[in-house]
This record gives sequence, structure tokens and C-alpha cells, in this order.
Amino acid sequence: MKLISTSELLSLQVRVIVSLILRETRATFGTSTFGYVWAVITPTVSVALLVFLFSMVGRHPPFGSSLALFFATGILVLQLFNELSNKLMTVFDANRALLTYPIIKDVDTLLARAILISTTYVMIMVTFFGGLWLLGLAAPPARPDQVVIAFLAASLLGIGFGTLNAVVASMWETWTQVEKVLTRPLFFISGIFYVPSQLPPQAREFLQWNPVLHLIEWFRWAYYPNYGTTLLNVWYPVGLGAGMLCIGLLGERVFRSARF
Amino acid sequence: MLLFDRVSKSYRLKGVRKAILSDFSFRFPEGRNVGIMGRNGAGKSTMMRLMAGIEPPDQGRVLRTSRVSWPLGFSGGFNGSMTGIENIRFVSRIYGQDSNRVIESVVEFAELGASLRLPIKTYSSGMKARLAFGLSMAIDFDMYLIDEVTAVGDEDFKKKSKAVFKSKLERSQIVMISHSASTIRQYCDCGLLLEGHRIRFFDDIDDLLAAYKEINTAGTD
Repeated sequence: MKLISTSELLSLQVRVIVSLILRETRATFGTSTFGYVWAVITPTVSVALLVFLFSMVGRHPPFGSSLALFFATGILVLQLFNELSNKLMTVFDANRALLTYPIIKDVDTLLARAILISTTYVMIMVTFFGGLWLLGLAAPPARPDQVVIAFLAASLLGIGFGTLNAVVASMWETWTQVEKVLTRPLFFISGIFYVPSQLPPQAREFLQWNPVLHLIEWFRWAYYPNYGTTLLNVWYPVGLGAGMLCIGLLGERVFRSARF
Repeated sequence: MLLFDRVSKSYRLKGVRKAILSDFSFRFPEGRNVGIMGRNGAGKSTMMRLMAGIEPPDQGRVLRTSRVSWPLGFSGGFNGSMTGIENIRFVSRIYGQDSNRVIESVVEFAELGASLRLPIKTYSSGMKARLAFGLSMAIDFDMYLIDEVTAVGDEDFKKKSKAVFKSKLERSQIVMISHSASTIRQYCDCGLLLEGHRIRFFDDIDDLLAAYKEINTAGTD
């Protein structure tokens, strides 16, 4: 019996993922390359606008000398997580038509979307932090390697939660609404506009269960040369992300036939 | 090779379990064209989806070593906001085909002209079907799965489809679902009859058609 070899399978996998990413790019951002530029510019501008509003009401940065930098290190990490969690949740339904082609599996569409979103956020962050640096509003990151690792950890948590969401939503549609309600408070409890270590102990006791807070602390600790954090536990978001990803993928496998 | 190894598959609709296949084993004969017949709801399309690998079986395995097409006949795989060309390029890419060659052959075959550069959502259902058919014929498969559709469009196009189809049959085999005795007789030389509670294989196409006729008249009594 002639069986397909591992290298053939691997190249097939790469081919499918790359084609899906190109298709997804085209479907999300439109025909022109400008569509993609737009996708990078929109969040960049919206963060810039928020920063502008905060500085208008006379807020001082809770840490460092740049309000824009402090705010961006928080909100961009949260947005990356939110985007992954939201967009992956609907991935099975959005790509139903693609399953006409048996060569494409649900997990491929999930992976392709996750890669596209993460890559877009790399662009957004490079644009934003690069822009701040060029404008003289911020220095480059103090520990670039840790910035990258923190970014990857945030992607992992987003992908893990997103995968789990996708599986739950495929069986219980209302979950898409529930998830929105559950993740809405993250904007307030993730330390976007304050330094969590400076909060009273009771608040810290409560907030430390929020994995996104750890990611933002991590990102800031990596970006600023002297950002002190008493809360950060890097293994918490990483472990939770990996765990949710495993459970999500397992759930996808177990409930696969129920989705048809 | 396409082999069903003790395959079971059932559906649960509104709490009612409906078995489509139970402990079904079958090796599709090499180099022969297989017709699949049965009354509506007997599980013909489900069987084809199992053959293509779209759906996993509940139990057992479906083994395939040949390149099996997706079930042709519906154009569900197109993205409406993408143009015809973009959709063709996507499908050629995932199947590892030279997209320029595939585009060329679809352009020539489907006769959609400038419409290929428009989004699929602007197409009529006839145009979509022509694109789907042309695309699947442009990609080389060892086995083509055809669900109910053999020809779309006007007489000219039908003639052309038939010709392409015949040339494909020289190197590839087909498995076809149809209710039409003449279509089955034209393309197939053996067949499966799905009756809900059992599946019979007929080595001879006339026996298949006779048995199909029999269950149909029995049902209408």
C-alpha cells in the first residue's frame, strides 16, 4: 500500500496554511495592499486618540515620562489577546464553506487566522512604538528579547482561549455573547492605565488572577529599563494559555463529528 | 485505493438517531466507475462526504491512497467577496497545482470571460456551477466524486462538459450519485444501492438499475 510520506504531509500542511492566510488576508482587508495598511493604521490611530484624550484632561503617566508609551504597552497587549479570542471564536462558522475541500481541516483555518492576527499585531506594535521613538516620545525597548517572548506569551493565551471559545461556541452559540460580557472588564482590571504593584494589597490579591494583567506587567517590565513588578509570574499566563490550547484542541477532536 | 473499513456513521436530528452506515466494509473496485443510487435520505451524500474525507466516521476507518476530489456538484467552497480568478488560484494552491495552468484551462472551459475578474457574489447560479465544474476538471484527481450534477448550462456547454468528462475517464475513475437511470448507465459500470437498512453492491449496471426500480415501485405502493 502506497502511503503519503511525512515530508509530503508537511509540505501539504504548509501549502494549505499559506493559502488560507492569503485568502484570509484578502477576505479581511480587501483587494488592495492599502486594505492591509488600513488594518494596521486603524488600531494605531485609535490608541493615539485615546492617549491624546487622556493628555488633554491632564493625566500624568503613572510610570515613566510618556503617557503614550505607558498606555500603549498596556492596551496593545490587551487588544492582541481580545482580537485572537474574538476572531478565533467564530472561525469554524466563518469557514464552513471551505470544508467543501476535504484537504482543509478546521484546525488549519484556526491556525491560519491566528498567524494572520499575530502578524498584524507585530506590524501594529512596530508602527506604534517605532513612531513614538521617531517622535522622541519613547526609547526603544530595554529588553527586546523579553518583549518578543511576552508578545508570544500573549499570543499563546489569546490562541488558547480563542480555540477553547471556538469549540464551546460551535456547540453553544450563545457563548459568543457570554464571552463578550466576560472579557469586557479586562480593560479595567488589566492595569492599562495604572501600575498594579502600586495598588492596595486587597486589590492586588484579586487582580493577580487575571492572566492578561501578568502579560501587560511582563511586557512593561521588558520594555522599561526599571519597571518594578511584585506581581509578575510569567508561568501563570503561559501555563494557562498552553492548558487552554490543549483542552481546546482536544475538544475540537472529540466533538468534531458533532459539528457536522 | 479507496476502502471503507467497518465504518459506522449516524446522525442525531432533534433527538432521533438515524444510522446511515453500520459496520460497513467495502473496497471500491479499481478502474471502475461506480454509481450510487438510493432514495432521498438513504445517505448517499453522507457516504460521499465520508469518501472525500470531509466528515469523519463515528467508528471504523476510511482509507484512501488515491487523490480523491471534493464532491462536485455544489459551489459551496467559493468565497463570495473574492473574484473568480482569486478563488481558482486558492483552490489550485491548496491542491499544489500550477495556478496559471489551472486558470488558463478554466478560462477556456467555463466561458465566463471578464466575469472571472468580478466577485463571485455577482454570479448567477449557472455561472457558479460552470466555474465549479471547470475548476474541478482542471485539477487532476484519480477519483472524481460527483453528486447529482453532470451537466450545467446550455446545450453547447453540456456537450463540452461531456467531452471533457470522457477524456477524464480515460485516466481517472468516477463515483457518481444520481437518480437518473440514463446518467448512471452512461457513466458507470457497477454500483451500490443504499436502502437505509442495507447496502448492496451490483457488479452489473443493469442489475443495479433493476433493483433501484424495484425499491422505487415498492415505495410508491
